[in-house]
Amino acid sequence: MRLLLVEDELEIQGFLQRSLTEAGYQVEAAGDGRTAERLAIESSHDVLIVDLGLPDQDGISLILRLRQLGLTAPVLILSARRSVDDRVRGLEQGGDDYLTKPFALAELLARLRNLLKRNNASGAEATRLRVLDLELDLLRREASRSGTRLNLTPQEFVLLEYLCRNAGRVVTRSMILDQVWGMRIQPDTNVVDVHIYRLRGKVDADGYGPLIRTLRGVGYVLRDR
Amino acid sequence: MFLGTAKSIVQSAAWRVSLWATLAFACGTMVVFVFLHQFVAGDIQRRTDAWLTGEVEVLADVAKRTPKDYLYGRVVREVAELASREVPHKRGAKVGLNDSVFFLQTAGDGSLALWAGAGDGGAHLRAVRNARIVPDAPSNLRVSGFDTPFRVVSVRMENGNNIYLGLSERDELRVLAKLRLRFIILWLLIVLIGSTIVFYSTRQVLLHIRQITDAASRIGEADLSSRVPGARRNDEVGQLARTLNRMLDRIESSIRQLHTITGSLAHDLRSPLTAVRAKLEMALTAGARDEESESIVSAIEDMDRLTEFLNKSLDVAEAKANALRLNRVAIDLDEILRVMIDLYEPGMSEKGIQIDLASAGTLHINADAALIHRMMANLFDNELKHLPPSCTVKISLRSSGEAALLVIEDNGPGFDPEISARLFEGRVKGRNSKGHGLGLAFVEAVVRAHGGTLEASNRREGGARLSVVLPLAVNSSGNLAPSLAQAS
Repeated sequence: MRLLLVEDELEIQGFLQRSLTEAGYQVEAAGDGRTAERLAIESSHDVLIVDLGLPDQDGISLILRLRQLGLTAPVLILSARRSVDDRVRGLEQGGDDYLTKPFALAELLARLRNLLKRNNASGAEATRLRVLDLELDLLRREASRSGTRLNLTPQEFVLLEYLCRNAGRVVTRSMILDQVWGMRIQPDTNVVDVHIYRLRGKVDADGYGPLIRTLRGVGYVLRDR
Repeated sequence: MFLGTAKSIVQSAAWRVSLWATLAFACGTMVVFVFLHQFVAGDIQRRTDAWLTGEVEVLADVAKRTPKDYLYGRVVREVAELASREVPHKRGAKVGLNDSVFFLQTAGDGSLALWAGAGDGGAHLRAVRNARIVPDAPSNLRVSGFDTPFRVVSVRMENGNNIYLGLSERDELRVLAKLRLRFIILWLLIVLIGSTIVFYSTRQVLLHIRQITDAASRIGEADLSSRVPGARRNDEVGQLARTLNRMLDRIESSIRQLHTITGSLAHDLRSPLTAVRAKLEMALTAGARDEESESIVSAIEDMDRLTEFLNKSLDVAEAKANALRLNRVAIDLDEILRVMIDLYEPGMSEKGIQIDLASAGTLHINADAALIHRMMANLFDNELKHLPPSCTVKISLRSSGEAALLVIEDNGPGFDPEISARLFEGRVKGRNSKGHGLGLAFVEAVVRAHGGTLEASNRREGGARLSVVLPLAVNSSGNLAPSLAQAS
């Protein structure tokens, strides 16, 4: 996967470049709009990460110009602006995504995966998900562990499904809120944790090996090994 | 429909203006006319009196000089008829006999001595006898059989006889009456046309003002970049529009400045935060020892709290300055509440808090979904953080008139009375509160940005009560009906 990273803060650029390379991306980095444009024209990329506050121009204008030049790859927008303005919303509707700074690396990786998945959406969706001995029947909305049915509420099933789809990868609390409850909020109480505790109580009941791990300060991960 | 239009016209300022203008115009012209009428009528009488006084003197002179023989009657009557010919008459019964003039001479005992005029003079004689007529001064005399009174002048002769000369102002008065009638008709016409013109021209001007008002209120709610119409006009309306537009220029520039300040503040804080968080995450994944990773994790958690605090502070600051950018869409409050309860219920029940929802069903408002979500989350966080175990939170949602009414009540300790007056100011929190005191300030700011109100109070039976009023979506009449039915 070829990725073009446009970020003027060198520290963040360096960190992202290393982390993204570790995650398996081939990263090209640019510190300003002109370099980014040149790199985008020279070779094609599967996905772009663009910071909105570039030294020589506005990130949005860069994206719009690249789109005019025929860019089709999805763009993940990084914004230090708090309220996301309408133009970003417009881009979001065009299939792109945004993330406000500061962000968790796990969330950035998850959103990149989402964008790429959206971009080459494979036709038929699986009707069953399987992670180790955990099995989810997406049509009947039923989950079982080692063949024993788990007694989950519909909401818990959605949460577990989300964890399964990202098995082996970290999901943050804000990702869970966004994907499971459809809200971009940051509660200053532990509401998400309580949901996870309850789910864990049912999924990781006595006798089974623990599947849901908490990574403090980061989020949760469903073990797939 | 027609009644509604009529009512709106009667209530409009244009109607009042035209009513008063018409009234003033009508009264003014009426006063002028009455004055002119009085003047003309007075002038007619003055001329009549002058003529009468002159003629009666001539007649008295003739009567005195003419010997009292059989020719006396003929001579005086001829002189009298001659005089009466000077008076134009239109309705005279016979030629030469003008009934608008009469000459009457009475003997000392009051009997008829001489008569010149139409008829036999009997009625005139009776009238003269009944009226006390002062000699030499013209006065009015009503004679039976005549609609208009005569002006009569009398002269007393040396032999005790009285000479009366009478003249009817019938024709002049008829002219005056015609004048009055025509004036009234014309006056009514002018008043009617005038009031219509005033009404329509005032309404035209007021319509421009209405357009300006509408535009201004639209600008207040939505975008600050557009301007009110009519600034090109050269009159007062144009001045109003230009003044409003200048004011909007200033507001827009200060809000833009605020955005710039908050934006650069956010940017300047966020970039180092991102770098620090990135370094911490790298340190964590680089395989730190357990005791190290513990402190790194808690540092990351502190950073996230700091970020949320920064976000909320800037939001509250912008909202307090009415500078929140709203991206309005139709959202269903009932649905959001149910999702919120679904999200918060486990957390609440873990603490032993119970939630009850009484909702009248779908309620659409036009609002910024992200802000409303965060506002709701703040309300729920507030309850979750401050309520002691085994309390109940009661949430009710219904429509009340043109607004959605969301009430959140609990039976907890309620608001600290020390701070209850300053709940929405930000940075205000109770003594035992753990938050940074921005929650309710943020809620209030968001509600106000959407044109609603937030009220916080302590219930009489104990506990806190928060009521949020948000204007309903205008085009949601279809959804409004069932919820109204249930609410009533």
